[in-house]
Amino acid sequence: MNLEQILLDFSAVTGIAGREEAAVALGAKLLEPYGKVSVHPQGSLLCRVWETDPDAPHLLLDAHIDEIGFIITAIEEDGFLRVAGCGGMDRRILMASPVVIYGKQGPVYGVFCSTPPHLTGGGEKKNLKVDEMYVDIGCTKEQAEKLVFPGDRGTLYASSRKLLGDTVCGKALDNRAGCAAILYALELLKEDAPRCNLTVLFSSLEEVGGQGAKTAAYQVNPTHSIVVDVSFAHTPDAPRVKCGLMGKGPMIGFAPILSHSISRKLCDLAKEENIPFQTEIMGGKTGTNADQIASTRSGVVTGLVSIPQKYMHTPVEAVSVADVENTGRLLAAYIRSLGREEKQ
Amino acid sequence: MTSLIDLICELSDIPGVSGWEDPVRERIVSLVQEHCDSLHTDALGNLIAFKKGARRPKNKLLLSAHMDEVGFIITHIEEDGLLRFANVGGIDTRVVVEKAVEVGPNRLYGAVGSKALHLHTEKEREEVADLEKLFIDIGARSKEEALEHVQLGDRAIFHAPFLSVGNDCVLGRAFDDRAGCALLVKLLQSDLPWDCHFAFTVQEETGCTGAAAVGYAVNPDIAIAVEATTASDIGGVSGNKRVSCLGKGPVVSYMDNGTVYDSALYRLAFEVAKEEGIPCQTKSLVAGGNESRSLQTAGTGARVMAVSLPCRYIHSPSNMLHKQDVEDTYRLLQALIRKLGNYESA
Repeated sequence: MNLEQILLDFSAVTGIAGREEAAVALGAKLLEPYGKVSVHPQGSLLCRVWETDPDAPHLLLDAHIDEIGFIITAIEEDGFLRVAGCGGMDRRILMASPVVIYGKQGPVYGVFCSTPPHLTGGGEKKNLKVDEMYVDIGCTKEQAEKLVFPGDRGTLYASSRKLLGDTVCGKALDNRAGCAAILYALELLKEDAPRCNLTVLFSSLEEVGGQGAKTAAYQVNPTHSIVVDVSFAHTPDAPRVKCGLMGKGPMIGFAPILSHSISRKLCDLAKEENIPFQTEIMGGKTGTNADQIASTRSGVVTGLVSIPQKYMHTPVEAVSVADVENTGRLLAAYIRSLGREEKQ
Repeated sequence: MTSLIDLICELSDIPGVSGWEDPVRERIVSLVQEHCDSLHTDALGNLIAFKKGARRPKNKLLLSAHMDEVGFIITHIEEDGLLRFANVGGIDTRVVVEKAVEVGPNRLYGAVGSKALHLHTEKEREEVADLEKLFIDIGARSKEEALEHVQLGDRAIFHAPFLSVGNDCVLGRAFDDRAGCALLVKLLQSDLPWDCHFAFTVQEETGCTGAAAVGYAVNPDIAIAVEATTASDIGGVSGNKRVSCLGKGPVVSYMDNGTVYDSALYRLAFEVAKEEGIPCQTKSLVAGGNESRSLQTAGTGARVMAVSLPCRYIHSPSNMLHKQDVEDTYRLLQALIRKLGNYESA
């Protein structure tokens, strides 16, 4: 399995929260060899990988497949577009960023803009809010109305590229990197006999509140769940205590909402299997789908594994291929252990 | 024959941050050398061409466009392999944060990084980052690894796509002033009514250094700077604050922050535009500046005019030009050359 290529391909497809279709289509193609694939009414992708004794544990392996973007809210009289964030848009990075809008007749290109610095009298010292900015698609209002409609989604234009070493860079690696790690785990388990019930969920709508995971988890009704997401890799301007290190392996989450025994088990397995790992300690909820899944129905025993990522929510999100691979190895080890426990 | 827009995009894709214009010059040489009567590169790196026209003009004419672009220069490499950088020329820091860049002659891909928005306080989200706090990440995990690929002093540019926008516009990087270079290349490839000098200059963005040497060496009577200038005809901006507008033709300036232009030539440009039926506008604010300031005062001085393409989001990864403005500017330059060869001011 060429993980690097999967990451580049996953980064290149679009799946802005609520419009995940293109990313889901790629996800379905990649998951099909491992089990029966279906799309949930809320847009999430499900794959039933192992089906065994109904009394055996049922593990739900989740990674969200949606990405942040923006949504057109209005077309102004002069043809400039007003937009709102669809997920956590970083307003510091929007100025002069080229964009792609997925309009009714295909992609429409443009650029984020605002009143230029020479006219703001010192205003250049401030980052504007998303709703104070415009998107310029080079159109009059009449021309614009033929191409876009309020509710259409867009992203910042991005290239999926390799950096030096094993770093992959592009948009939407939050959280397609998580999807790739799960695919790698399935590849490692390909020859294994089913040890438990296993369902994979590539969930929709995480960036706008986790509705995809909430509804799909209800449908699947698992006993256990591992959520795979990305978390902060350290850069010199960031607080070290809130970050992992790029290239040092998956970050195993500890938090009140997470199952302590799963967190501990993941650490033990990583040590046994010589998988590099780090821990990520959170005081309350995790801000990931784990919060949703853990409290589904009468509760699900849930763990969280995160891939260290630099420049989250930008067109230059960066992850290490080795971290993704080691995350997949850790997931495979956990799935094997879950089967073992039940046989004893 | 390549269209003007295609030529602009081709030249704009070449990295040429001030002081490192060589790749741009090499491409221009290959495009014009068979069309010139003389062509040479001076000590600073300016490319100076002479082309015979149908007749010898009364006024020695020079058209100039600068080859350099704003960008970045690598100033330091951290132990962890991250690159520190400074800007070369004027760049609004807000257009730099988290942009993709290309470093050095081999166009090594990288990203201008900073911590994720989730780790910023509300105050930090509002404040524009200090350029000194940002860094370029090329994926190197150590200083040694970075040094295998990057030298201090290497330049970096925005990595940017060239895209068609709307019915009439094109989006891309470095149109200031590869658009001017492309117009001059096209003129050089055409038959001219008068002998003309052309200069593709260096280091405009860092102080109009190149044009000073060109002005001295060529010593023209009349010099026309061809460049791209601010168009602020965007959402929320009205009246004279727009400076210039896309789709309303070339911009001829009476004054900017660097030059008071020759008023007879300024008026002439509008007369010529009217005669030829070419739309033409002026800047509605005294703003910006270009290498006319150097051409005006080099040697014994020259009468100067600036003919500019209105361009939105100049000095960013996403410059926007209107295709009709490009055609109209080319036509105006042709008409001006016809007129200026034997022009006598009243």
